[in-house]
Amino acid sequence: MTSDEIAENFARLRIAGERLKRRPIGEVLDVLGAVLDRWRDPDSIWRRDLEDRLPAATGFTAPMVAEGLRRALGHWTSDALRELANRELGPIDALDGGSNRRVSGFDTTAVLLAGSIPMPSLLALIAPLALRSPVLAKAASRDPLTPHLVAQSIAEADPELGRCIRVVDFPAADGDCTRALLEADCICATGSDATIAAVQSQARPPRRLIVDGHRLSIAAVVAPEDAACRSQLAERLAIDVALWDQLGCLSPIAVFAVGPEPARAAALGEAIAVALANAETNWPRGTVDAATAHAVAQQRAEAEFRRAAGHAVAIHASAATAWTVIVEDSPKARPAPLHRFIRVVPIPDPAQLLDAIRPLAPHLAAVAIEGFGEETVGVARALAQLGASRVCAPGSLQSPPLDWRHAGRGVLAPLARMSDIETIR
Amino acid sequence: MSADPRRAAIDRQVLEWMREPRWSYNEKRFEELALELFAFQFEHCEIYRRFCTGRSQTPQNVKTWRQIPAVPTSALKEVELHCFPASEIAHRFRTSGTSTDIRGTLYLDTLELYESSLLPTFRRFMFPELLLPEDRAAIRVLAPSPVEQPDSSLSHMFGVVLGALGGPGSDFDVEKGELLFDRVLTVLVESAASEVPIALCGTAFAFVHLIDHMNQRGVLIGLPSASRIMETGGFKGRSREIPRTELYAELKRVLGIPAERIVNQYGMTELGSQFYDSVIRGPSEPRRKLGPPWARVVIVDPETGHEAATGQVGSIVVVDLANTGSVLALRTGDLGRAILDGFEVIGREPGAEARGCSIGADEILDRTSP
Repeated sequence: MTSDEIAENFARLRIAGERLKRRPIGEVLDVLGAVLDRWRDPDSIWRRDLEDRLPAATGFTAPMVAEGLRRALGHWTSDALRELANRELGPIDALDGGSNRRVSGFDTTAVLLAGSIPMPSLLALIAPLALRSPVLAKAASRDPLTPHLVAQSIAEADPELGRCIRVVDFPAADGDCTRALLEADCICATGSDATIAAVQSQARPPRRLIVDGHRLSIAAVVAPEDAACRSQLAERLAIDVALWDQLGCLSPIAVFAVGPEPARAAALGEAIAVALANAETNWPRGTVDAATAHAVAQQRAEAEFRRAAGHAVAIHASAATAWTVIVEDSPKARPAPLHRFIRVVPIPDPAQLLDAIRPLAPHLAAVAIEGFGEETVGVARALAQLGASRVCAPGSLQSPPLDWRHAGRGVLAPLARMSDIETIR
Repeated sequence: MSADPRRAAIDRQVLEWMREPRWSYNEKRFEELALELFAFQFEHCEIYRRFCTGRSQTPQNVKTWRQIPAVPTSALKEVELHCFPASEIAHRFRTSGTSTDIRGTLYLDTLELYESSLLPTFRRFMFPELLLPEDRAAIRVLAPSPVEQPDSSLSHMFGVVLGALGGPGSDFDVEKGELLFDRVLTVLVESAASEVPIALCGTAFAFVHLIDHMNQRGVLIGLPSASRIMETGGFKGRSREIPRTELYAELKRVLGIPAERIVNQYGMTELGSQFYDSVIRGPSEPRRKLGPPWARVVIVDPETGHEAATGQVGSIVVVDLANTGSVLALRTGDLGRAILDGFEVIGREPGAEARGCSIGADEILDRTSP
């Protein structure tokens, strides 16, 4: 791929985009909704193809990919897409005329994808098209598969819409190609701090720039006294940890166990360990590199040493590095190697919960909460105030609704140009 | 020497090895001393004993030095670890770091082993041609003196090196936290003019500063061919980092010292001994880290905890007989790979793209620190 080829792609997309602009937005949403429905269908050729090929492309295991997609795409329906558009953009029927509000997409949108989890890529490619903006996407090096399959599935559903999406592959270090891509009128970029900083410094205004750095999630629960309830909660937390090998921004890195009895937090940690061992049987963790295994081993050894030094630390772990649960004795923030490594942090008093979470607040995506009884609404609101863009139940972290306001903003609205036409005499 | 008679006996044997003029990598000798020292530390350091027993590893069932339980160096940031009474602490070396970092501390009751280990190792890998005890070399140190930074093991090391090996014109070139560029450049120009080779020692980041300064002033110096550089340390907490290959290329360009005469030292506060690139001692051999006979490295597969296969990347574990007062087996935070009779240190690839969109809390802590 060269910068000239990217410029040629943009030229073709602009031509295709002119035809797209003339189509009713409702019709485009219907096509994209049908595409979503096909991706949701486990028997569709696209879904099967992704499930077959994603493990080799990303290192995830096939059972985990299948379960992750099943849970994530379950609510991503054509109806959900229409509701999303209605909520963020206004009544669909009124958007093409007859309303004082005009909504349109940009002439071109560039999407810089990151990571290896397929759902964010799917949504990132569909969203600009829903606004009738043609898309030029750069595939992530960790997942060169998903965006191409998504583009093909759109082209199959509607060849004209298919001409409005192109996926390119080039190394992130290719400055010429990156600069060419950043010539789009609207730029959506996901990635590390370094990637985001590079995009922000290179994108020439005036351009709509939507960037997302990496984020994390946590769980905050009152650990149940009843063993059966505890096991059930642990199973749901283990699903949140295990899916996508804890590498998504919706993967919890810690469980804050609120309550005056440290023994309950310890018991919850033990139950999560049992559940993670089961998860490893059902949905084994994917491959990890030496640096990851080293980080896990290092954190385990540190915890062992803290225990030897007299701290009430418990370590539950698989023989190799497949999963780890460390029950800590203080809320001190510690490294999170990810890849199914979870800390259970006891919080004696609910009033201390927010203080313990506050250092993570700038990067907080979602919080799973349970067991707060009448305080649930208050806790949820306080977490939202702290910065969580989603508060949900344990076990559902990896099944976000289509309209989840990732990073606290909408899905479609940030990509839209809206015009209000006032009454003029 | 330690006040404890049992440890003093071990100290004596280790010191004897360190003071032998000809090095011998005697496996049996190392094994016996390592197991003896492990038994002593197991007995005299309660935390370490609990750590070992937590792993069901005791002097009764640990049969080789490779099985000695290794303490992660990062744990020393939180725990005071020594196997002598706290009242006998004579020196504290603290790990480097930014002001917001928690710094680890090495507690010593004696510096005798520390100094006896570092000197012959530095001489062997930096100045193999200095054969006689009275031989000296011109050494400039781009780091603070031990007077200025008494808790820095690196400054202490350079102080000992300058005292024992530093010839005329040797000195420290960092004062009050500032690298004295004018003074360094004057010395370097004089070295080039007089054809008297010079050794520059310091942190990698100090050399980056020097390169930046020389580039700003448009200065290029061709140092005599026998000149050499020893650089050590990483870039954590610094505003800029550059790959080592790029650093070496720049050093060659501005100072005329080729990579074959630039030695990276692998050491850390928690270790009494250091490891050096082999390039000056064995210029025709593959570059690898080598150390003294009384300190060994084993590359451990982090998945299994067992020794990694040859060439496999794993965790670097050091077993160092110079650490008689703390713990001899340390699991470093670094990845490495065995090469011939040595090893190489492999850092995590900078800028490597994460597989997901999550982030480790350690990175967040780095970012949110004031």
